Amino acid sequence: MSSGAISGPARAGGGRDIPAPAARWRDYLGENGVQKWVFYIPVVFFLLFFAAPMALTVVWSVFERTQFWMEPGFTLFAYDNFFSSARAENYLFSMLHGAASVVIAFAIGFPIAVFIRRRVTRVAQHRVILLFILPFMISELVRVFAMRPVLGRHGIVNSLLMELGVISEPITVILYSPLGVIIGDVMSFLPFMIFAGFLALEAVQNYIFEVCDDLGTGRVRLFTHIILPLAAPGIFAGSVFIFVNSLGVALVPTLLGGPGAVNAGLIANQAIVALDFPLAMAISTIMIVTLVALLYIGHRLFDLTKVLEPIS
Amino acid sequence: MTQSSDIAVEVVDLAKNYGPVRALNSVSFSIEGGRYYALLGPSGGGKTTLLRLIGGFLRPSAGSVYLHGQDVSHLPPDRRPTSMVFQNYALFPHMTVERNVAYGLKLLKAPPGEIRDKVERMLGMVGLEGYNRRMPHELSGGQQQRVQLARSLVLERDILLLDEPLASLDAKLRKDMCLELKRIQEKVGITFIHVTHNQEEALTVADRIAIIADGELVEEGTARDIYETPRMRFTAEFIGDNNVLDGVVADISDGRATVDLGFARVDVAAHGLPAARGDAVALSVRSELLRIVGSGQDPEASWQLIPATYVEAIYLGLTISHLVRLPDGTEIVARVISGERSEEEFEPGSEVTMGWPGDRARLHVA
Ligand SMILES: Nc1ncnc2c1ncn2[C@@H]1O[C@H](COP(=O)(O)OP(=O)(O)OP(=O)(O)O)[C@@H](O)[C@H]1O
Ligand SMILES: [Mg+2]
Repeated sequence: MSSGAISGPARAGGGRDIPAPAARWRDYLGENGVQKWVFYIPVVFFLLFFAAPMALTVVWSVFERTQFWMEPGFTLFAYDNFFSSARAENYLFSMLHGAASVVIAFAIGFPIAVFIRRRVTRVAQHRVILLFILPFMISELVRVFAMRPVLGRHGIVNSLLMELGVISEPITVILYSPLGVIIGDVMSFLPFMIFAGFLALEAVQNYIFEVCDDLGTGRVRLFTHIILPLAAPGIFAGSVFIFVNSLGVALVPTLLGGPGAVNAGLIANQAIVALDFPLAMAISTIMIVTLVALLYIGHRLFDLTKVLEPIS
Repeated sequence: MTQSSDIAVEVVDLAKNYGPVRALNSVSFSIEGGRYYALLGPSGGGKTTLLRLIGGFLRPSAGSVYLHGQDVSHLPPDRRPTSMVFQNYALFPHMTVERNVAYGLKLLKAPPGEIRDKVERMLGMVGLEGYNRRMPHELSGGQQQRVQLARSLVLERDILLLDEPLASLDAKLRKDMCLELKRIQEKVGITFIHVTHNQEEALTVADRIAIIADGELVEEGTARDIYETPRMRFTAEFIGDNNVLDGVVADISDGRATVDLGFARVDVAAHGLPAARGDAVALSVRSELLRIVGSGQDPEASWQLIPATYVEAIYLGLTISHLVRLPDGTEIVARVISGERSEEEFEPGSEVTMGWPGDRARLHVA
């Protein structure tokens, strides 16, 4: 009926099988035309900007090193180089720092997320969460650099503590030390934990908390039995973000770590500066493998897809 | 359970303000133990507020709540003999049906064997045996509400509070669940307080109904009284399909009043209502009691008659509504069962006479 109405004018013009220009145009835009392909744009985007670079990273890591670049071939020299040098050990240390940052960020950030979800009125919650985005408006370099006058020997923290009489000597382990790197990571990436934790908790209906009041769950068990399991996927997502960043962002150990401080990102940077591209690629490949392994473990632990399914 | 009194819930001068908003305005009433009680009223009337005050989810701004004669106004929900069933999405999404129901008992440190037996019995009671291992998202809305019911009942507290428990179910399922709720309440024998804005739901489940509107308890009574003999004009307008006519008392004597509707005078029982000559009053007649008196028919002497103009018939399946307009412009409805009486046909615009049996209209002074 309706298609007849559309092709009406064309039929009046003569040829029954030739659709009117308007109808043809509709076809191009219709479900079998552009619309059908629009859905593939994300796929193309993914292939172009995510899959391809990752594949190239892996491929390049086994290429032969040349003086300024590399040439096709197959050698595990870069991996051998990585594992037989101090780099492997540094990498492990970097993972350890990452894990410590995650744990501290959880201990600080998750309670903040719970607080915002439970104690801030519903309308204000998103505004409060947005506050935590503000630091991201500042260049990361500036942000990390700004930690120096805070944590330094004569920095704000030390002056304050000495003023209060808590300490008599400045604390020096909080800057230019592994601890400094961890503090830097936590301060830089804490919002990830707050966001992810809050988003997970936001999906939890208020009724759930009231049921707990009704049953007499109590604070501690509310946290361990209800909040923690329901927020687990969010916590995991936030943890992965923080872990990956503390592994990969070279800025933090460079500015806050003192001599010899490295993380995986910095090792790769150093390899690039030394024009050892296969080595840089090998380190990146190892980072990719680490991340995939983490995601796999997380998936097995929390069954991410299932927990995130709608409740009803 | 049966302590000094048979009164399960007593609310005295209970009021609640949300900041400047007065949600509940000094309400007092009591509920006998073992009753199925409905709080019925329009949206925003304060039903949820009242229920939450009884359950302990809100603190009263004034007044007190007594449960079994004991002042519980300052006790938290878990220390009261009440349990709440919420509208929806209130199951723990990460626990199976069985764990959801068992959770409250686990918190009470009941022995595992006992927990298993009770949970099993409760799931049987709500018709969900065999669903133990399902997750909430694998259940339909009606099933989720059954699990909630089981989770509350298993605690064996003797007042169950239900806040629009069926609101998110479709009409058919809601009807089934109403009967189911009623059956379960009769079986367990505890007090149910059920909040709803659906009058059919309230009439189906409840022994007694309280009408709550604008933060006030408008009227309270058995389901039948509320439906058939509402005292308040508001109740008449809210419940059933009442035609409400405004008028002035022209004469009152011997428990009967003559009401001047402006275009006609009708006689109505006054039942000792505090009305005097000249008072503005209202009259309500349920639409199924109102008849179009055909020209050939001769109504009994006790019938009250008023003139009207026929507007249209609206077919509603079970019933047909005849819409007529009174001389003062108000439209009223006479409802008949489809096909019951020889399908009377009226021309829109034709003059008709409306009538009702003399004792079936209600007088409302407020
Ligand atoms: N947390 C709150 N803050 C401010 N006002 C509130 C709050 N909760 C309820 N109110 C107001 O109190 C009044 C009564 O609300 P209540 O939820 O008790 O109504 P209700 O009868 O349950 O309505 P419904 O049938 O829509 O659920 C309403 O005017 C409502 O706007
Ligand atoms: Mg409500």
